Amino acid sequence: MISLTSPVETWAHRWPAGLKLGLMSLATVALFATEDPAILGASAVGVALLYASAGTRFARAGARQLWPLWPFLVLIALWHGLTGQVAAGVALTLRLLAAVALANFVTMTTRLSAMIEVAAVLLAPFRRLGLSTRALEISIALVIRFTPAIARKGGLLSEAWRARSRRRPGWQIVMSLAALAIDDADHVADALKARGGVLPIPDTDQKG
Amino acid sequence: MAPFDRPDDLLRLEDLRVAHDGRDVLGPLTLDITARRTGIVGRNGSGKTTLARVVAGLQAPTAGRVTLSGIDPAKDRRGALDRVGILFQNPDHQIIFPTVEEEITFGLRQQGRSKAEAAAAVTAILTRFDKLHWRAAATHSLSQGQKQLVCLMAVLVMGPRWIVLDEPFSGLDIATRLQLMRHMARIEARILMISHDPESFAGYDRVIWLEGGALREDGPAAPVLARFTAQMRQWGDADDLSHLAG
Repeated sequence: MISLTSPVETWAHRWPAGLKLGLMSLATVALFATEDPAILGASAVGVALLYASAGTRFARAGARQLWPLWPFLVLIALWHGLTGQVAAGVALTLRLLAAVALANFVTMTTRLSAMIEVAAVLLAPFRRLGLSTRALEISIALVIRFTPAIARKGGLLSEAWRARSRRRPGWQIVMSLAALAIDDADHVADALKARGGVLPIPDTDQKG
Repeated sequence: MAPFDRPDDLLRLEDLRVAHDGRDVLGPLTLDITARRTGIVGRNGSGKTTLARVVAGLQAPTAGRVTLSGIDPAKDRRGALDRVGILFQNPDHQIIFPTVEEEITFGLRQQGRSKAEAAAAVTAILTRFDKLHWRAAATHSLSQGQKQLVCLMAVLVMGPRWIVLDEPFSGLDIATRLQLMRHMARIEARILMISHDPESFAGYDRVIWLEGGALREDGPAAPVLARFTAQMRQWGDADDLSHLAG
């Protein structure tokens, strides 16, 4: 659901990361403040227009990233259908779709290093207390960077399964995927250590 | 870039020993290395990668001492940043960031350089390799050889005096390998390279041959490589593949 920065350069790439994250937070709070399906529907359409304004190629890539959401949406629809709360179900679905799509839009149009800088600015008070926030900043970056990488590893594992089986892989590959993720974590730890690990950067130039 | 011939550019291994899970995988090894280009050869499991990791300071030895240009690379991580860079066998294990620029910038910021200094250094290294158009490229979309070159630039930009290369050419086609070798030949820093391919040691001064974690041979590149290749061919006719480590 969360993708990497899109290589397709759009107008939104040029906006400051802090501004985008701020607006996104406000919009998300607003989405949770209303139950009106009309307003939520309009918001979802608005987010769709945002994607469209960035061009067809970008919008398609965005839609592909959001596709894995469908099982959740189906689950919500089923649950609310069964319990008879159709209006609440529609509102929840629209809200979830609009909020995740908006977050994905910000991720796709913001460089990872810009995100880390925003985190560094927000965490400044903790540094003044003498705590190193570098580990947290790098962790945020790593989650964004490695989510798609682990998803790709899952894809490779299921191919390795299908190469020797007529059936689709199921829960059997979960353990292997977990082992691979741990293995990857080891490699990343080495890569980080080779270039200084989480040494705190002097505060003077971190604000720059 | 650091001036090349520093008197303290010495890699000294003193009675170095590394054990994994109680089993010795390397050593005892005592060596002084000052050559500009040193190769390390040996079969799989001979301790080459362990040696590379210990020299780069990623792993502390179980016993003995490593001194690299005046510091202990495992203990003094800040000092190690300016002295040694390592290129892993698989660039996918090395690249942390989604764009080439961010990947190269990371190490510079880790060294405490300001954003403006880092940006200038990134431009300089990309220009030096004639790859300025790679700046905004997505790292995951690069070919294996291109990724390896990004890793090399990310290491070089930090200006280390030593560069450790752990089988940098595995999985690359011949043309890509030759191009990377050409880039590497121009590096001013001292290089310690692990490889299985005797041809990749063209222009090397010294070759160290490890076998079962111990020193088997050590000397000028050409004769050591000739004997290594002859031995590999002889072992190639045997079937020690069936032996399990115990």
